Amino acid sequence: MKHAPAPGKMLRRALLAPVILAALLIGGVAQANEPATPVDQVVKQKPFADARVVLQISDPNPFKQTLVLNVAHNLLKFYGPDRVDIEVVAFGPGLRLLFKDNAQAGRIAVLADQGVRFSACKNTITNMGKKLGHEPALNPNARIVPAGIVRLIQLNQAGYFVAKP
Amino acid sequence: MKTMHKRLSATALGVCLGLGAASSAQAANWLMLQGTEKADNAPRAKVWGFIQPEYQQDFSDAHAGDTYIPPKLIGPGLDDQSAFNIKRARIGVRGTGFPLDGKVNYFLLAEFGNNAITNGGRYGDYHPALTDASVTLNYIPGARIRAGLFKTPGSEEALQGIIALPYINYTSVTNQLLLERFPDDGDSNIGPQTTPGADMNGFSKSAGAYRDTGIEVFDSFDVGKWEHSYAAMLGNGNGVQMLDDDSNKDVYLYWSSAYLFDGKAGGPWRSTMKLFGWYQDGQRTNAYDKTQEQDRTRYGIGAFYLKRPFRVSAEYMKGKGMIFQGQHMPQKMFNDYKAEGGYIEGAYFIPNTPFELQLRYDTYERNVDQPSKATFDTWTAGVQYHFNKKTRATLNYAVRDFSSDAAGPNSHLEGVDDRVALQLTAVF
Repeated sequence: MKHAPAPGKMLRRALLAPVILAALLIGGVAQANEPATPVDQVVKQKPFADARVVLQISDPNPFKQTLVLNVAHNLLKFYGPDRVDIEVVAFGPGLRLLFKDNAQAGRIAVLADQGVRFSACKNTITNMGKKLGHEPALNPNARIVPAGIVRLIQLNQAGYFVAKP
Repeated sequence: MKTMHKRLSATALGVCLGLGAASSAQAANWLMLQGTEKADNAPRAKVWGFIQPEYQQDFSDAHAGDTYIPPKLIGPGLDDQSAFNIKRARIGVRGTGFPLDGKVNYFLLAEFGNNAITNGGRYGDYHPALTDASVTLNYIPGARIRAGLFKTPGSEEALQGIIALPYINYTSVTNQLLLERFPDDGDSNIGPQTTPGADMNGFSKSAGAYRDTGIEVFDSFDVGKWEHSYAAMLGNGNGVQMLDDDSNKDVYLYWSSAYLFDGKAGGPWRSTMKLFGWYQDGQRTNAYDKTQEQDRTRYGIGAFYLKRPFRVSAEYMKGKGMIFQGQHMPQKMFNDYKAEGGYIEGAYFIPNTPFELQLRYDTYERNVDQPSKATFDTWTAGVQYHFNKKTRATLNYAVRDFSSDAAGPNSHLEGVDDRVALQLTAVF
């Protein structure tokens, strides 16, 4: 037999609920991003690509965020989504592009829908986490790579043209 | 039961505002443009500002005895009928101090030009002033918090940034009803003067510059192609003076609903149709008799439409208490008079050219219901040449018809005539 909660307990719960809701709203819900697909597999995803490009963003200048996305957009426009393989690798201060609330999130979603991959450097995430007190929440389209610079090297070795707009 | 229903309705409204509607993108409107930065996309410190050199000439006639009153002279010094001036020269810095946390941003701006903020007139000195110094916290969805010194939520003409201000001089209603002057007990009234060297600015303290120091809660919400914004602020009611001079606080309320033709934010030049309303209320302590306090209330509504090649905007506003009686009359500021007025203006951007043609009509009735009632009607024709998005030249020609029910003031006001103004604006 279940007893009805005591009035005091109900009151505490009633008071606690909005506090928890507010904390969730302010802090956001941490959502783990999946690891990036290994390089030897991503190459196979677009076997007919005429061009394979990796775009590096590691600059603190916010204008570079726009520029990188513009370049990705222009590549898609020139080659067509099926004929170009694009990956954006963000590390260092450039990782801000892949923060969950970034003002460019809408453009990132559009590009991701057309096959552009976005990779976030785990080393940077960890270091930023130390400064912030928690790891930054990332764009749901971001995939984690152990080290941004290593990902660039691997993609380059696999035939990708590395560009830093 | 009724109380419960009200509580549920309030909760539902809060959920709709806070969660159901997507939080607006930055650059959505003046509240957002001035109070926020693009999320995770702002620099640590962006240096910016603007410079506005200008020339103005007034064609008004002198009163008998060759004397003049402020509307016939060029501000802020009110010395003569023609002058070159650096109307505004502001430099500032804004951004997000700790870029890893894009939820905090700041805005700092100082004025070095010669205008009602910096010109101390006959009883003061030139004094550069801080016009903006604020910090915004963007942690709570639907309730951004801005604290410090900044533009108060209100009239579109007053709230909009200089980058978009289309005319050189403010309308009479905005200049007199909203650009608050703060008399000092050392300021005295000045009678009509002869030129040159009339020196008729009687206010030694900075004008309010449509700003106040306080705390504001605000945000914008996108609902389809509509964007709804609100702001509620509590401030000193002491302009750019920063520190309060009494214990009275001003309350500011603002609401706007804008239809975005492109369905997205786009800075000052976005295509939009906006409706808005605002209310301000406070009290002022009489500078000449500290035992007296005077209520000050302002409220208004307006509409703004911009879709190139056309722009149309209009506002109507009313006020009671602290009705400005002229730049030479600081001792007459503490009154309980009423005033009202408005404007309608439009522009045509000539396609494929840098030219913008403008026409504005504004009217203002001061001291309504008083024997000293005065009316200020002005037609302003203008043309702007846009060198680029941040540099423009503006030419305005104003045809003015001022009058008063009181014979004495009317004998001066009836001599007010046309005015021409040329200004260069460079934003950086």
